[in-house]
Amino acid sequence: MLMMSRRQGETILIGDDVEIVIAHIGRSRVKVGIRAPRQTTVIAQEVKLVGDENRAAAAQAPPVAVLRALLAQLQPAAHTLRLPSDEGSVRQDAGTKT
Amino acid sequence: MPVLETNNFGAISFTLESVFEFPRGLPGFEERRRFVPVQNPQTAPIVFLQSLEEPSLCFITLPILVVDPLYRLQVMEQDLDVLSWRAAHPPRIGEDVLCLAVLSMRESGPTANLLAPVVVDLISHRAVQAVAPESDYSYQHALFPREAAPCS
Repeated sequence: MLMMSRRQGETILIGDDVEIVIAHIGRSRVKVGIRAPRQTTVIAQEVKLVGDENRAAAAQAPPVAVLRALLAQLQPAAHTLRLPSDEGSVRQDAGTKT
Repeated sequence: MPVLETNNFGAISFTLESVFEFPRGLPGFEERRRFVPVQNPQTAPIVFLQSLEEPSLCFITLPILVVDPLYRLQVMEQDLDVLSWRAAHPPRIGEDVLCLAVLSMRESGPTANLLAPVVVDLISHRAVQAVAPESDYSYQHALFPREAAPCS
């Protein structure tokens, strides 16, 4: 990996059309400005990880029995917590296919 | 009342007021903007987020405080914009927003995404999956860590 030292306000060029500006250096964070062609995707790595995780999570819902076993393992205190949106927003009567 | 054909639940009816609007979709599913929360009494407090646009797309979630009763919600400015959040104070779980952790069922056991909770404005029902890069939360938080003593 190429390592470069830059000061606040300095710029790095990647190829002909990507420009990275070190906009601000804080105590533990760096604010970076990125100028890139519209078709170049620029996202924080976390967002990509979350996207991958969502795709993995979106697999078919497991049967009710599996979910009930999972819930039974949760700490007993957890079961007493109520959903804040209990009134109205959530349907109660959907049956999950097993 | 509209009826939706789903892979997991068969046909479900829902009210338009119950729909969660994700103006930017979710990471990995940017084009999926509308979800309806579904609960089954047998699996409460699990909340299924069923896509209105894709019958096979359904996320399994838990209210985040069930996973971590001390969870500290951090929503970045860009995500507050998605929610059209106007209040001076940050959104509070349960009072202002519903906060859900997306579960993944892995062979090694279920995990919850605490790095990027689904945050739903309780009034407007606008929603965003709010990635919190500055938090120390994991996107693969084990629900049942191996070393924990099993509950009887």
